[in-house]
Amino acid sequence: MAIITISRGSYSKGKEVAEKVASRLGYQCISREVLLDASEHFHIPEMKLVRAIHDAPSILGRFSHGQQAFVAYFRCALVQYVKEDNVVYHGLAGHLLLKGIPNVLKVRVIADMDDRVRAEMKREKISEEAARSLLLKDDEERRKWTHALYGADPRDSSLYDLVVHVHRLTVDNAVEIISHAAQMAPFKTGKQVQKKMEDYGLACQLKAGLADSFDNVGVKSEYGNILVYARGNEHHVQRVRKKAREVAREMSGVNDLEVHAVQKLPLDVV
Amino acid sequence: MSIILISSDHYETGRVVAQQVAAATGYALLDRGILGEVASASRIPEPKILKSLEPTSSKVGFPAKVRDRALASIQGAVMARLLDDKMVCYGLAAHLYVLGVSHVLKIRILCNEEERVSLMATERKVGIEKARKLLKKQDAAEKRWSLDVFGRDETNPSQYDMVISLSQIEPDEAVNAIVETVSYRKFQSMTYSIKCLRDKELSIRVKLALMEKYNDVDVTADGATVVVRTKALKREKRKKTENIRALAGQIQGVSYVEVHVVRDIFRQAAEKA
Repeated sequence: MAIITISRGSYSKGKEVAEKVASRLGYQCISREVLLDASEHFHIPEMKLVRAIHDAPSILGRFSHGQQAFVAYFRCALVQYVKEDNVVYHGLAGHLLLKGIPNVLKVRVIADMDDRVRAEMKREKISEEAARSLLLKDDEERRKWTHALYGADPRDSSLYDLVVHVHRLTVDNAVEIISHAAQMAPFKTGKQVQKKMEDYGLACQLKAGLADSFDNVGVKSEYGNILVYARGNEHHVQRVRKKAREVAREMSGVNDLEVHAVQKLPLDVV
Repeated sequence: MSIILISSDHYETGRVVAQQVAAATGYALLDRGILGEVASASRIPEPKILKSLEPTSSKVGFPAKVRDRALASIQGAVMARLLDDKMVCYGLAAHLYVLGVSHVLKIRILCNEEERVSLMATERKVGIEKARKLLKKQDAAEKRWSLDVFGRDETNPSQYDMVISLSQIEPDEAVNAIVETVSYRKFQSMTYSIKCLRDKELSIRVKLALMEKYNDVDVTADGATVVVRTKALKREKRKKTENIRALAGQIQGVSYVEVHVVRDIFRQAAEKA
């Protein structure tokens, strides 16, 4: 009974590890499904969503409002999946998108650059030079994306509970290590964690509902009581309040809704 | 049998984990307790030996030549002990110089960041924000040190087989994971991996002997054959080669010495100018 996020670079064998961990523990393994769900639920073409959550931000290092909205949709879809518990998610920034949920086992699977280059050459039938350059470009996009959104570098080990280097350790060794870690006490989801997940789900849902019209909005939920924080003048806050009420009416599990005007968004909001 | 090398971003936390791993596996613990012995064998004061393992901003009273000799002495002592096998090594930077030996498991332990900040605040008697800044500075200095001295970034996870963060994982659980991992076949010693370690031990022993006279030597060993690479001016080449051959030839375990001398273009240019 745990939620595992596996972060990986391309050709790092992370996908294989994730699938094997899920199969060994009898968990659901998700990755692209989240994208498809978000695309269907929020009526966004899949390719547009893929580009928004894959491509690095603009030259000024900032995410456009549209990109931020797409990330909110994606996070909302992801949280709906992990609320079910017993999930292995491998893909984009799971450890950061789910940072509001406690007890998530955050894993990064890494591989040697030379091994990755060989795998890409074999699959794409390209030269060593081209494969290396594509991998470096991809890693850099990932780094910029994560940095712009969360101010973090995905290569930083302190973001994870476990970093497994698949080189001397085989894929099966990595699966064994991760499966064993998932059984550790801190990663068991009890009732309290379940409650926090539900609250996080509500906050993400409301944020996704607001994301299309407003940026500079933060949302959190405590026992079904949703708090929305908005930056801007009174007129802007009124508009946020009106829209938030409309969105909340369509959601189940909401006890109360408050909208507050703030100078600076609190740190613990979605 | 195996060797476990542990590194950590917080000395005390890593030491506790290393001690527990040693107790759980029944392996011997190799730590900074050997530095006294290294100091007397190398005739370098123990505080300087210890200083060589830590990033320092001041080079006053601690020239690079002394630091290099101190580090080579530590490496020599560590390598000699690692030959005994069944070892847990901590706090001697072994993860940065014991390379290419298959029965060595390399682990990095990360302490909970908030805990480190609070420990730093108490230790230095400063506020939390100041402690956070100091910690960031200290981490950057450690990274620079590992790159300067060994050309490797010790914060890079690809230097290790596994990195475990103690933010959520309990130290006991981390110990269990390490004990489990070291039992994998991949980390059992084989004739070839033992030979690799012996070669490394011999090369550092030869380097140490040569460092008494020449600081700019790079030594590799294969069995009883030793290859020494160095720099010299054209006129010094013959004499330096003979000296190196004579010095290295006296070391136990060496039967053949090959010396490669490349021209020292910087000294040559300096002399011409």
